[in-house]
Amino acid sequence: MNTAHRLLIAAIALAASLAFAGPPAPKKEGIEGKGYKWNAQEGEKIEALKLKGDAKRGEEAFEVCSACHLPSAAGRPDGTFPQLAGQHPTVIIKQMADIRAGLRDNPIMYPFAATLVDPQELADVAAYIQTLKVPHDNGRGPGTDLETGKKLYARDCESCHMKNGEGDEKKFYPVLAGQHYKYMLRQATEIRDGKRRNANPDMVKVIKTYSDKEIDAIVDYMSRLEMPTQKKK
Amino acid sequence: MKWILVSLLASTLAFAGDKKKEEPKPDPATVAAGAKLYLEKTCVACHGKDAKTPIMPDYPRLAGQSAAYAEKQMLDIKSGARSNGNTAAMKGVMPLVSEAEIKTLSVYLSSLQ
Repeated sequence: MNTAHRLLIAAIALAASLAFAGPPAPKKEGIEGKGYKWNAQEGEKIEALKLKGDAKRGEEAFEVCSACHLPSAAGRPDGTFPQLAGQHPTVIIKQMADIRAGLRDNPIMYPFAATLVDPQELADVAAYIQTLKVPHDNGRGPGTDLETGKKLYARDCESCHMKNGEGDEKKFYPVLAGQHYKYMLRQATEIRDGKRRNANPDMVKVIKTYSDKEIDAIVDYMSRLEMPTQKKK
Repeated sequence: MKWILVSLLASTLAFAGDKKKEEPKPDPATVAAGAKLYLEKTCVACHGKDAKTPIMPDYPRLAGQSAAYAEKQMLDIKSGARSNGNTAAMKGVMPLVSEAEIKTLSVYLSSLQ
């Protein structure tokens, strides 16, 4: 075998292994870059938002999701997986599209986001998730400094996330009520520290000055929010 | 000097392979408990119902893996001692399992064909 042959074989082997391994998660410029525009109205997100989601079809598609987020979509109190039930479709669609586009880094979620079929399926799943009841038994914080949490929430968070954590569907602001304390603690910290690259710069500005203790107090308070529309069991 | 190396090498070899330990036959109750954990602790989502049809081509097949190896990898990923490859995805779910549950899961995986 001469050198040319060897090179050719090596090249084929490399190409084959690359094809076999599948594309790694892409990386798109986010909050760390100068050109970042939060919630840029582009790509499949816009397509999915325009489509009418079919909750029935979404229920079928959700089967894959339920392996981690549970069939109730309530996620896990230890914060590994977020609570999704009752979340605004705009939020679900934006976050999924961001993970797919490599704007929100999530190595666990990425393969699932990547295997999504098309914007219609995304709209369907989002429609289904909205029909599910926000749980009451979400993971809560230790309750050590709820006074501070309440004060800071009213001052800094309420204008966007609303009094009872309802969020704002039109503005892509998530429902916080029923979300797990540990999940929100991780996200809030990552948003403060610039690690959640699809974050809203307006929120980063607000949260940037917070100490770990203050974040903890706010999130603890948030984990106890209940919306009037959440019917008690 | 040389003989130290030689004896060291010999003892290592003896330790690693001389008495090949067969893995004990998996206990059916442990296998059943492991099967339940496999579904509950989200393993199934990435590695597939049969533990050999992973969602990504570069995720491992686990069915039939030696229990000792599976247990060691999971413990190392959980502790952070192993942090290469796709462990970024795997580490995220390791808080869901205790060391005892890892052992049970490993026995279940080794019982699969």
